[in-house]
Amino acid sequence: MTIRFQLFTGFIILILIFVIDFFVNQGLSNQVIKNTTYISSSESVIRNSNILHKDMIEMQSGYRGFLLTGQIAFLQPYYEGLRTVPPLMKEQRKLLSTPQQKYILDSINLLHSQWVEYSNSLIKSRLDTLAGSKKYIELFNAKFRKQVGKHLNDRIHQAFLALDNSEYKIRREKRAALQNALYKTRVLTLSLTITSIIVALLSSFYFIQVITSRISKMVRQAQTISNGQFVVIEDKKKDELNQLAISLNTMSETLQKNFNDLTKKNTELDQFAYVVSHDLKAPMRGIANIISWIEEDHSHELSTDLYKNLMLIKGRTIRLENMINGLLEYARVDKVRRGAEITNINQLLKEIIDLHVPPGYGINIIGEMPVFKTEKIHIQQVFSNLISNAVKYNNNQQPKIVITCEEKKEHYIFSVSDNGPGIEEQYFDKIFVIFQTLQERDAFESTGVGLAIVKKIIDDYKGTISIKSEPDHGSTFSFTWPKSIA
Amino acid sequence: MKHTEILLVEDDYLDVESVKRTLKKNNVSHKLHVAHNGVDAIEMLTKDEKRIIPNVILLDINMPKMNGIEFLGIIKSYYSLKNIQIFIITTSAEEYDKMATSNLGISGYILKPLDLKNKKSDDTEKLLSLLTQ
Repeated sequence: MTIRFQLFTGFIILILIFVIDFFVNQGLSNQVIKNTTYISSSESVIRNSNILHKDMIEMQSGYRGFLLTGQIAFLQPYYEGLRTVPPLMKEQRKLLSTPQQKYILDSINLLHSQWVEYSNSLIKSRLDTLAGSKKYIELFNAKFRKQVGKHLNDRIHQAFLALDNSEYKIRREKRAALQNALYKTRVLTLSLTITSIIVALLSSFYFIQVITSRISKMVRQAQTISNGQFVVIEDKKKDELNQLAISLNTMSETLQKNFNDLTKKNTELDQFAYVVSHDLKAPMRGIANIISWIEEDHSHELSTDLYKNLMLIKGRTIRLENMINGLLEYARVDKVRRGAEITNINQLLKEIIDLHVPPGYGINIIGEMPVFKTEKIHIQQVFSNLISNAVKYNNNQQPKIVITCEEKKEHYIFSVSDNGPGIEEQYFDKIFVIFQTLQERDAFESTGVGLAIVKKIIDDYKGTISIKSEPDHGSTFSFTWPKSIA
Repeated sequence: MKHTEILLVEDDYLDVESVKRTLKKNNVSHKLHVAHNGVDAIEMLTKDEKRIIPNVILLDINMPKMNGIEFLGIIKSYYSLKNIQIFIITTSAEEYDKMATSNLGISGYILKPLDLKNKKSDDTEKLLSLLTQ
């Protein structure tokens, strides 16, 4: 599974949780709104019910008062009621929510109509009586005395009680449902929030684990490679990072292979140079021998020209021998590593100076020369070549050599200066190349190997060598040498 | 030593000449036998009809057929040849050649060209004193 896909899935899960949360909240709040609306409409139901009931009772008392007294003024609330009750009934019917309640209201309406019919007949006859009719007495005796109106009124009263009770009951239920909905909303929102936090945290940890730890593993690998150890890492997941790991491993292996090849080639090259120069020596020495025998045995028989040419051959043989010896020395440089030993640079310089510097030279060793553990034979060779060069080429009337040392964090910087003829800047690179000399060999016998060896040794210790020089103002060779050998 | 004889084991004509001249220059007049490789030398030391008994062997390392180191290995097994002083005379300044021969009972390791007046080499002085006794 690719990381891209995993990241995408993680985000999709989070988004899904938020969408679910949104819709659930939406549903629950709709329920809350519905219940709240119902509770407020329920208030109106009860109020209307009371008004209706009150209007009917007032109609009844007005009607009774008129029957007893015969005064028409008592009928005023009765007529008022006839006008107000029907629209109130209509409104109330709309507000009621259940069919059961609607049935109760319908029965109230029916009872009221019956009562209005009954009361209306009595009121009419009473009015006629006032005008002289005897019909009222018959009706009064047949209906009022038998309490027909009272029965109707009692039933209306009961119906109103039932209606109110049912309304109160529904209201209680709705209120409980509202509370419940609010509670559910809270619980659901809280649990979804917690779930999304957990999902987010888990996926974060997962990605840290999967990506960061592997990336840092690869960073460590890259650092190790840059330090020259060509390691490979194990990474079995099949994703984009695995591609990177595979590339890094391939790179490391290729580097290792090339490095091995290069080391092998270098060794072969050194061996080649060694074998070639070693085998060249024998026939060359043979020629030199023959020349010296001719010189010893036959010099009196030779013409001046022949003798002169013979001496030229002898000179060239010596030069060739020197060059072969130089090449041998150059090829041998890093073949021998005896191991680091405590080296006293001051002591080492004194020995070299005794060996290479003739009397009459001004020698100045400036500063404290270190004593440290290193490959003595190699630093000795470097100093020895630089100091003998400083002597060999010095044409000053008062020749001087100055040697300094500067301590850095991981290496020393040594320098060897002379007051000789100096070197032009354009030759700075050339002098470190094997067999390169700046003077004609016939004028100045030199193999051109010394500085090449110096450079080879210093390169071997991953150091640097630089030269500062001006014609007629001497030269300064500075090189770095590691404090500890890896 | 009155009956000193020298065996030079050397394949190169010029080197043979060179040794002859050096000996002559240093007034060493002992009898000098020359073998051009290890096989010939073994024959000369062991075959009855032309047997020689040298006191000193001057031995080159790089030779055809049998080189100096192989020669030394064979010589070691002959009890009768135990007292011969053997000096290596070679162009090889290699550590591994020195190491290989040091365990084979040699008396000295001398670099070519042989120069009996070279005071820097203890082995050369040892050879010179042996030849001029």
